[in-house]
Amino acid sequence: MTAKKQVPIIEGLFTWPSDKPQLIASRCKKCGTVTFPKAAFCANPSCEKVRENVEQIKLSNKGKLWTWTVQQYAPPAPFRKEPLPFQPYAIGMVDTEEGLRVLGILTSNDNLKIGMTLEMTTGKLYEDAEKEYITWMWKPV
Amino acid sequence: MKKFRDVAIVGVGLHPWGVFPDRSMPEMAVEAISEALADAKMEWREIQSMVAGTYLWVSQREGMFGILSGTAISAAMGGIGIPITSCANACATGGAIFREAYLAVASGLYDTAIAVAADRSAGGFFRPQSQDPQFDLDYIRYVMTGETNPAYWAMECQRRMHDLGTTEDDLAMVKVITSKIAPLNPKTRYKKAFTKQQVLESPMVCAPLHLMEICATSDGAGAIIVCAADKAKKYTKKPVLVEAAVIGSPTFGDHTIPLTYLSAYPRPGVGILTESRNAIAAAYKMSGRKPEDIDVIELPDNSSWHYFAYLDCMLQAKDGEAEKLLRSGKVDPIDGELPVCPSGGLGACGEAVVAQGLFQIYELVKQLRGEAGERQVKNNPKVALAQTYGYAGNNAACILSKAW
Repeated sequence: MTAKKQVPIIEGLFTWPSDKPQLIASRCKKCGTVTFPKAAFCANPSCEKVRENVEQIKLSNKGKLWTWTVQQYAPPAPFRKEPLPFQPYAIGMVDTEEGLRVLGILTSNDNLKIGMTLEMTTGKLYEDAEKEYITWMWKPV
Repeated sequence: MKKFRDVAIVGVGLHPWGVFPDRSMPEMAVEAISEALADAKMEWREIQSMVAGTYLWVSQREGMFGILSGTAISAAMGGIGIPITSCANACATGGAIFREAYLAVASGLYDTAIAVAADRSAGGFFRPQSQDPQFDLDYIRYVMTGETNPAYWAMECQRRMHDLGTTEDDLAMVKVITSKIAPLNPKTRYKKAFTKQQVLESPMVCAPLHLMEICATSDGAGAIIVCAADKAKKYTKKPVLVEAAVIGSPTFGDHTIPLTYLSAYPRPGVGILTESRNAIAAAYKMSGRKPEDIDVIELPDNSSWHYFAYLDCMLQAKDGEAEKLLRSGKVDPIDGELPVCPSGGLGACGEAVVAQGLFQIYELVKQLRGEAGERQVKNNPKVALAQTYGYAGNNAACILSKAW
């Protein structure tokens, strides 16, 4: 029995397949503004809206927890998370080394503390007969 | 700033808040308009300009007529050939359309205008409106993280507790004092006053927020009629002057990740809720008022966190001042020196997204006129302030005062 193929629920948000997945963002070559998901133009109001000024970057996968909560109730479709019945899970805002604050599911609900160090990983939300569907997650170090 | 002519509110109406599965969105709007017209002793044909609130919930339920809400409401009232605009600024829509109605009259183009909004909420958690994995950021955020509105509020709340020392008791007391009004307001959906224990024993939705510390989503509709102040006496003995009607949008570098987004790029000195701080600053500037001039406040208490965050914001106070005000009794909704949410707030009515801003204005007009019955504030208010906060960085605020 071979393991099912893991695929991102939505492609292009993080590097995959990869042993060390990273979020794919964009950075303005003029002012350094970072945006996730990647955007066509720099979000800084002082910057010209020129596509060529923006480059694609991979975010470092270390971050610090700015805040968090645990969702006790199942978010309705189109969100899907197994196993069923729904298990409460933590979600947080994480500050990366590039100065970006990113949202994401946390791999653990326990002993979460503002300021703690986290590492980006991936995790399965659900599966079908052929594939497992994954998203990025933040794991306490 | 160029001085516009003065504008007054001469009529207000609300369809009650609740769940009305058998009533269409335009039907509820018609009832709100009819009440506002009766309040102003005005004929429908005297309205010269109209702006309506529109939101996606209604489009899910009622399709094209939900999106073109102004057109649908006008058809239900009977067309009178006036200019109509439909506007979607999420939860700040009510305040945004009030500003449009104000501008229509203040500009001198029209003598009368109406802002009307009706909403039929889908119930339960909000969710994305498309299935577009390429361009709908809201959809992408939602399927990848499952972040619900209360989860966002809870994360902000958790951070506030960490930074400012807000306690679980403080959060519960918000519901205790605002729900005192619930049985006293005929327009609210919920009629129950809660004790602290009942709030803390209600199910945890997203730590630290319990079920009784977040608002429901409801159906409802409101209508506000404005008129050139020098013609207002024809319609009412108690015209309410619009001193400010503003909209705020975010500043680049805001520290929070607003709902529908996946990231923020915080810049030093910018802070959170910039759309709200920008709107409040604009409202004080436009009116020439200061926070200490305000006698009564309606704020968007979608959750206990909002209550504190918005009280600080609206009074331009130091972060954390709101908790002290609550503990001191100063902001009790009836007996306080500065009553807050004398309507019972979102906690008591549930949010009918696009109409909520009009619910607030209706309440403040009733309070200024001394027509709020059992929930009439005791401090004889002359100047009132309302603010609504919306999805994805929308905000609207207004300052109203007695003009008699």
